[in-house]
Amino acid sequence: MIRDITLGQYFPGESGIHRLDPRVKIVMALTYIVALFLVKDFWGFFFAVLVLSIIIKASGVPLKFIIRGLKPIFIIIIFTFTVNMFMIGGEVLWQWKFLHITREGLFIAVFMAIRLILLIIGSSLLTLTTKPIHLTDGIESLLKPLTVFKVPAHELAMMMTIALRFIPTLLEETDKIMKAQMARGADFESGNIIRRAKSLIPLLVPLFISAFRIAQDLAMAMEARCYRGGKHRTRMNAIRIRKGDYVAVFLLILFVVIIVAEPSIKGLLV
Amino acid sequence: MRTKKLIEAAVIASVYAVLTIALAPLSYGVMQVRVSEALTVLPALTSAAIPGLFAGCLIANMVGPYGLPDMIVGGTATLVAAFFSRMLRNRSLLVPLPPTVINGIAVGMLLHYGYGVPLPLFICIGWVTLGQIVSCYGLGYPLLKILKNYKNLFV
Repeated sequence: MIRDITLGQYFPGESGIHRLDPRVKIVMALTYIVALFLVKDFWGFFFAVLVLSIIIKASGVPLKFIIRGLKPIFIIIIFTFTVNMFMIGGEVLWQWKFLHITREGLFIAVFMAIRLILLIIGSSLLTLTTKPIHLTDGIESLLKPLTVFKVPAHELAMMMTIALRFIPTLLEETDKIMKAQMARGADFESGNIIRRAKSLIPLLVPLFISAFRIAQDLAMAMEARCYRGGKHRTRMNAIRIRKGDYVAVFLLILFVVIIVAEPSIKGLLV
Repeated sequence: MRTKKLIEAAVIASVYAVLTIALAPLSYGVMQVRVSEALTVLPALTSAAIPGLFAGCLIANMVGPYGLPDMIVGGTATLVAAFFSRMLRNRSLLVPLPPTVINGIAVGMLLHYGYGVPLPLFICIGWVTLGQIVSCYGLGYPLLKILKNYKNLFV
């Protein structure tokens, strides 16, 4: 069971999008999400889809891979679409007994579904083209100005890096403990939801004890090597802004301007 | 001492992420239950759990399919809830309350406003809160009682 899990969504590649600075990519993804909420009509979405398609093409991540990532939220999309389509009142287009579809309902259903899909694809492109380790480096660097307010940026990033390193080890450990407890007669799969939740205690307690043992060893090893936190620490692969990043930021600003000004541009044309 | 706390937090983050990923089948279904939310009782035992749970939630949501908004909202809600749980550490029964209420409200609001789930806000919040009750009280509370016997494990 545990072997089937692919950790993270990173899709290895050497494209220009992959090579962008992680900080720039985080800011781009955040801006794209905010911009989606500023879109008021389908022309705005058309532009957002166009931009996203260009980015996907440039990143070299296969479309199939991206669509597969949408699978877990497929139910939410269908549910949102159906409820919006049937529940909103207005000019009736189709009616059968108590069910009716209105022009307004159809508009909102399609509008919300497009926004949801773009939201998910837009933000998953960030994790698809950035290694988790680079992402944590980016988060550390973006949080650095907040150290003035005593936000422990380095510690947080270090914590995430160590946690990422231990995920495969602990996944293996979880698998081992599950098998060991099942051999002793533990049942993780039957009963109602509360019973199933409670049946996990024989898994959690040994997992914790084993994890904390690993932690003690690692802490001792780090202290023995004189680890003292973020100050004066240098990096083997420092992240730095390159020419491509400036281009990306410029295009991002252009994108936001077009999205914000789109209703007035349309007004001028019509 | 400081390094030990840092590693402890990292390990808690890792366990949170592992449980979210490994037990994903249980998280889907009629009612979603995120088993890893049971770990939100840990601030009662160690202060390292506050940043640990935050980092764990960031990683789990980074890997998950819901993207950046879930990472920011879910992570922040977990961090705030962990602070309150730590403050309530002397009253075991109240420790799982902040993650139940705060995450229920925050994630419910994210579903309603962010992802546009067209159910009334209180139903979105109620739905998430119910899942949180199962994981925080159904699993977290008994876990807290057992882990109290292993206090020497924590820094």
